[in-house]
Amino acid sequence: MIDFVFLGFIGFILALGLKRPYFWVLLYVYIDILAPQNIGYGIIQSVPVSLIAFGAAFVGWVMFDKKEGARFSLRQGLILLLLCWCFFTLQFADFPEEAATKWDWVWKAMVFAIFLPFTITTRQRIEALALTMVLTVGMIVISTGMKTVLGGGGYGSLKFFVKDNSGIYESSTLATVAIALIPVIAWFTRFGTIIKPHWTVTVFAVALCFACLLIPIGTEARTGLVCIAALGVFLLRYTEKRLIFIIAAPVLGLMALPFLPQSYYDRMATIAQPGGDESASTRMQVWEWTIDYAAENPLGGGFDSYRSNSFTYTMPVREEVGNTTTTEYREITDEARAFHSSFFELLGEQGYPGLFIWLLLHGLGVYQMEKTYRRWKGKTDESEAWISPLAAALQIASLIYLVGATFQGIGYQPVMLMIVGLQIGLYSYVQRLDSAKRALVTDRVSRRPNARASRHGKSRQAPGAVTA
Amino acid sequence: MIDYFALALGHGLLVLAFLRLVMRDSLDVDPAISELQVAAEAKRPNPRGNRRKAGSAKPAVEDAPQEGEAAP
Repeated sequence: MIDFVFLGFIGFILALGLKRPYFWVLLYVYIDILAPQNIGYGIIQSVPVSLIAFGAAFVGWVMFDKKEGARFSLRQGLILLLLCWCFFTLQFADFPEEAATKWDWVWKAMVFAIFLPFTITTRQRIEALALTMVLTVGMIVISTGMKTVLGGGGYGSLKFFVKDNSGIYESSTLATVAIALIPVIAWFTRFGTIIKPHWTVTVFAVALCFACLLIPIGTEARTGLVCIAALGVFLLRYTEKRLIFIIAAPVLGLMALPFLPQSYYDRMATIAQPGGDESASTRMQVWEWTIDYAAENPLGGGFDSYRSNSFTYTMPVREEVGNTTTTEYREITDEARAFHSSFFELLGEQGYPGLFIWLLLHGLGVYQMEKTYRRWKGKTDESEAWISPLAAALQIASLIYLVGATFQGIGYQPVMLMIVGLQIGLYSYVQRLDSAKRALVTDRVSRRPNARASRHGKSRQAPGAVTA
Repeated sequence: MIDYFALALGHGLLVLAFLRLVMRDSLDVDPAISELQVAAEAKRPNPRGNRRKAGSAKPAVEDAPQEGEAAP
């Protein structure tokens, strides 16, 4: 039954795309995030919906889109360079089979991130993409948040739509993406034009933000808690009443404590005591190992190069027999521990060149959003007031991603690459808007020197001006 | 049940948003940029010399970058 609902929805968007092909781009975004083909268990699994959507999005853009304002930006060039570099390291990967499996989804995510900004040429498209991402991630967040409230949480035990731990359906990844999207959700309550600001929109947005904050609690993902703290710090810059914010945030946090389960306290306690937890204690060792590995292999070892690591260490193992709890120190050997950090993931897999390109890609995003925020800050005209807050929201999204990425290997996360695409689209759009305004002023100005030139016998013409 | 509720709510809102969007021409052509382009085009003096007409129009923007602006 649910398969037919999904197929009906996909068919509906495909039909809308006949009038406006941009809907096919949104369809791919929806399918790539939600993965309806993995939620259903019947006919939808045999339909290559993702391939159909990507094909439709690409063909629709090439054949029918006006492509007005589409331009190839520096950051798209960086993604392309990273893609080529990944393909290069794939050729001499330490683990060719595993590397090929990872390459299979990484290249698709990167190609779509390069393609996406070409299609984002208008304000409505920027908003439509942001809304599609928010609502699609929102479905997973609402479901997870409600299960948490109704008592179904727990690390590794909370059931998502898809239970294979892939893509966004990995607890820490979902927590990071959900927290990163909170400022974008808030943006819709003031500047949305598709669904206009209304008290119902505000109520929905507040509930959705609350559900986003519940993700790290429901999944007991420690990274999510760090992301919430980072969000609080980043929001300080945009808060007018900072003192109240600084006081209110810990008070709200304290008020939430009695509602948290004991298992949550136990897991969060391991943030401060990494020695007591296998996942946290090996993390530091994997990072050390990666630095040594990169010293020997500065060009990287290809995807999944972490598989060659091995660590032996002593850990306290607690055993409960009846009323007695015994703690015994045992020697444990861990093999093929994942990088647990995107920075080290890039360093180990793509070497120093790959890490440099990746850092440049995201660093440039933070810089461009800052530039956009400052350039359009304080505008009151309806057609411009939305730009600066959206740039700020997308900058915070990037920063939270980088915080979350410090503790998990999500260097090529498709949803985050879509946010990168959205940032590129916004930056290109404001540059076009700026240049259109400049052209108008230049045209006006260009006549003045000409008039003067006719009097003084010399001409200093403004660039782009047409000689009368 | 919770899953079905979340999916129904999300899909319902997406349908609502898409139905509103599909009728908007501004999805494909940005009104803010095209208005500026049209205004610039209208003010641009053409070779036939209707400079007086173009010069009489008021500037449409107040806060455009000032770098290139010369003193009158």
